[in-house]
Amino acid sequence: MRRRAAKTVAFVFVSLLALIWLVPIIMMLVVSFMPPDQRAPRFGGMLIKGVSLRNYVTVFEDAEIVQHFINSMAVTAPSVVLVVLISSLAAFALARLRFFARDIWFYLLIMTLMLPIPTLVVPIFQINKALGLNDNYLGLILPYTALGVPFAIVILRSFFAGFLREIEEAAILDGCTPFGIYWRIMMPVSWPAVAVVIIWQFMTSWNEFILALVTMNSVEVKPLTLVPLVYSGQFMMRPGPMFAILTLITIPVIVVYYLMQRFMVSGLTSGAVRG
Amino acid sequence: MSRRWLIDNQGLFFMAPAMILFVVFVLYPIFYIFNASLYDWDGVNEAVFIGLQNYIEMFTDDRSFALSIRNSLYWTFLTIFPQMFLGFILAHTLTSGIPLQNVFRIIFFMPAIVSPVVLGIIWQRIYAPFGGLLADVGLETGARFLIQPYLADPKIAIFSTIFVNVWQWTGFSMLMYVAGLQGLPGEVLSAAEVDGAGALQRIVYIVLPLLRHVHLTLILLGVIGALQTFALVYMLTKGGPNHATEMLPTYIFQKAFTLQSMGYASAVAVVLLLIALGASIFQVRALGSRFTIGG
Repeated sequence: MRRRAAKTVAFVFVSLLALIWLVPIIMMLVVSFMPPDQRAPRFGGMLIKGVSLRNYVTVFEDAEIVQHFINSMAVTAPSVVLVVLISSLAAFALARLRFFARDIWFYLLIMTLMLPIPTLVVPIFQINKALGLNDNYLGLILPYTALGVPFAIVILRSFFAGFLREIEEAAILDGCTPFGIYWRIMMPVSWPAVAVVIIWQFMTSWNEFILALVTMNSVEVKPLTLVPLVYSGQFMMRPGPMFAILTLITIPVIVVYYLMQRFMVSGLTSGAVRG
Repeated sequence: MSRRWLIDNQGLFFMAPAMILFVVFVLYPIFYIFNASLYDWDGVNEAVFIGLQNYIEMFTDDRSFALSIRNSLYWTFLTIFPQMFLGFILAHTLTSGIPLQNVFRIIFFMPAIVSPVVLGIIWQRIYAPFGGLLADVGLETGARFLIQPYLADPKIAIFSTIFVNVWQWTGFSMLMYVAGLQGLPGEVLSAAEVDGAGALQRIVYIVLPLLRHVHLTLILLGVIGALQTFALVYMLTKGGPNHATEMLPTYIFQKAFTLQSMGYASAVAVVLLLIALGASIFQVRALGSRFTIGG
């Protein structure tokens, strides 16, 4: 009986906290549906007189929101694919092959995880300038990939290292090359770890801000993350359209997270949280 | 290169793409900022070599730099520990078999996946002194302490900013603790229960010590997170009012891209890099050498 009571108390406590926790997200949605004729909204706009889709129409009419969405995709999707390929190759080599200075390379790559990205913003800006990659998707794809690879290697390497060696030894006896072991034996069964890498890289690339801010100067190539700044002047006095933009930016990450979240806990346990 | 050597080192082919990206976008930039920090350079005209002058100015005559160091310390301590505390309580509650616990986990984690740019704009409306959510709740209910110049008062702006960050990332701590709690050996806990250990005793003497690797991971990620905070501060306060919420990244950005002092910005970046490396080495040494992410 005492346990039942304790569980009820915990449930009520968590429910209340969850409700408070969601207030900013609810606010984003509510303000985005605010009728345009409502002036001086109170409670930050939490109380609206009726629901209107007008703000979304305004956003699609006045802002190139579809173009910005395509820009975000054009940067994020290639960086996710490249990170999965490049880091899984490297993680396989680090887990299974011997080569010159292997441990040194591993520690150098891991060191990148400790590197605050803003330290790199000046040199990456200059590298892109020298290569003519400012205002170019590649100017973000390459650094996002480079910065995403180390975390992905950590996750994938510990996953690969946990495999039974007997299967690989049998494959080698049958004449399988190391690349064959990587591509035909290990990758097909590594989807839980690959899923974590995909979610993580998708979210970090989609939400990345400082490099995008200095690399993309022309409005036509700006990803969604810069859109609030682009239209902050235009929609300054109109929170409705601005919050519709915020909602539209957020939907893709929520969808990807929701589709992938069941892998997240198991992936973190197998990879990131191993002492 | 002999054929034999190539076969012995074929791992290098697998590593090559990762190595090339690392050299171009990580290693070279590190050398770059060390070099650029010794110059007076606007990014366009010829750079003038000035030795350590940028560093001397930074440490002797730069109030904004001093403030950004102070704020980084606030940020580190006031984010990591509240987040771990709250994250553990949530994780413990949400692994105890209460109804809808998976839904609750998704709710608490949700802010972590939303862009800080988006959150910055939302929280501006929550904090707004006129018509903002907190101010109006204060007006309606008489809880007048809720009416504060949250982002405009240099004394409290940094704490208002940190609060948003704690709200955003507590769900991540929770998820890490959920993963850790699910991996605990059940026999140990039931044995302790049979021996008469109470719930609190089990947590303090068994669960928390067994989750040591999660605590360490969260501290390490928290320090790095604090040191590279940019978007949230940029959207909420741009480092103001009067540099009161300046962080090292916002300061680097301002120096490099608003004031066109690429050399000085590089010097600040070098300091940030050294702090980050120093902090990670210190943690690995002091808190346990067995700790690596993954390992």
